[in-house]
Amino acid sequence: MDIMHFLDIIWLARMPILKGLGVTISISLLAICAGTVLGVFVGLALTYGIRPLRWIVRGYTDFIRGTPVLVLVLASYYVLSTVGLQLGPFQAGVLALAVFCSSHVGEIVRGALQSIPTGQTEAAKAIGLTFPQTFAYVLGPQALRHALPAWVNTAAEMVKASTLLSIIGVAELLLRTQELISRTFMSLEFYFFAGLLYFIINYAIERFGRYVERKTAVPT
Amino acid sequence: MTSNSIIAAAIAAFAVLPITAQAQETKSKLDEVLARGHLVMGTGSTNAPWHFKSVDDKLQGFDIDMGRIVAKALFGDPDKIEFVNQSSDARIPNITTNKVDITCQFMTVTGERAQQIAFTIPYYREGVGLMLKADSQYADYNALKEAGSSVTISVLQNVYAEDMVHAALPEAKVDQYDSVDLIYQALESGRSDAAATDQSSLAWYMTQNPGRYKDGGYGWNPQTYACGVKRGDQDWLNFVNTALHEAMTGVEFDFYAKSFKTWFGKDLTPPQIGFPVEYK
Repeated sequence: MDIMHFLDIIWLARMPILKGLGVTISISLLAICAGTVLGVFVGLALTYGIRPLRWIVRGYTDFIRGTPVLVLVLASYYVLSTVGLQLGPFQAGVLALAVFCSSHVGEIVRGALQSIPTGQTEAAKAIGLTFPQTFAYVLGPQALRHALPAWVNTAAEMVKASTLLSIIGVAELLLRTQELISRTFMSLEFYFFAGLLYFIINYAIERFGRYVERKTAVPT
Repeated sequence: MTSNSIIAAAIAAFAVLPITAQAQETKSKLDEVLARGHLVMGTGSTNAPWHFKSVDDKLQGFDIDMGRIVAKALFGDPDKIEFVNQSSDARIPNITTNKVDITCQFMTVTGERAQQIAFTIPYYREGVGLMLKADSQYADYNALKEAGSSVTISVLQNVYAEDMVHAALPEAKVDQYDSVDLIYQALESGRSDAAATDQSSLAWYMTQNPGRYKDGGYGWNPQTYACGVKRGDQDWLNFVNTALHEAMTGVEFDFYAKSFKTWFGKDLTPPQIGFPVEYK
């Protein structure tokens, strides 16, 4: 295969590729942000919630984590429409990924919070901090350090899971790639190129995680 | 194939729910579509020449044109149509859950599917064909068959691929490849003597590369392609049938023939004037 010829074809197809890349990034960003916010509350409820709340949230995380993402995607697209909630493919996809993300982040946050010695909470109580203050100034920053590597991992998983949305017709990067292949008959080249783009997105997430890790590291 | 059928089964499982949950509809889909002012058609975007994107990112193909025929019959304007992008697995669920008015997406008519949705009249008959290089040592299908075990056929990987080829060429060697471009490449590089796949795909590829390939002149494995609509709405089904029927035999024949020529490279002879062709 002539590399210049392929670059030519990619240049010709730049708009669909960029649009697909944009959709993949926006879906991933929305799902990761919404999933992280929701996940922090899930983690807090799992760690500090009163018993009935903890049971409910435990059931939620176990159920969602034990369900394939594809099933969640299909459920939010097809099942919700039967109860009158008509979501478009994009909205249904973001919802499914955000819910999936929240259950993973919830577990990560729970693990991070539980790894902090109870002495920290006791000391915070001793100097008269309320619970929100304890979380904001004592537990939160420490938990963040513990949680970051696992969070980066989950965020990268979300980007990869976004490819499943092509099933319900979201024109993300993978579907755009398949559209190009059907026109050009160049499957290996285009799949390789899409793989490269996914790698770049995930590498950027990893660098971002490293950056936050450095910023939040305990000065030595 | 296997993963596809698992996905299909999963979607089907979800799509069963709404069937039972739905209340009886009194008004026809035809009135609903007319009131809305445009047709909502489900189709794919990754299969040339049926439904795929042009260089400037517009949906085009034979399935797309079938939708435009219906839109034109509805509103006198082939552009009053909205396409819902769906995977092949979502064809039936999106009809049963009312996400689309109609699906035209190279859907093979089978008894099993006809229990779930209502098929329109056929608009194309698909079959497997053979494509050879224009300068091939074999003239056509008969020459390939006579050559027996010394010919190699490249074909898309599939559980039934071997049997499918052997139904036409009992002794031929079968090489299976992962994607369509690879079976064409095998033919181009001389690793196979002919490529066997859907005749529509071959026709499209030959239209794209004029003079380089030739058709084997034999077709087998017939399949009927038809659009699908929701069951239980005879008014709507009749309307779509009428639109398609008149495109193949009546006032819209030129539209259909032009589309046929564009995507399959063949000219159609106009239906005979006088006694209706249907009763021949």
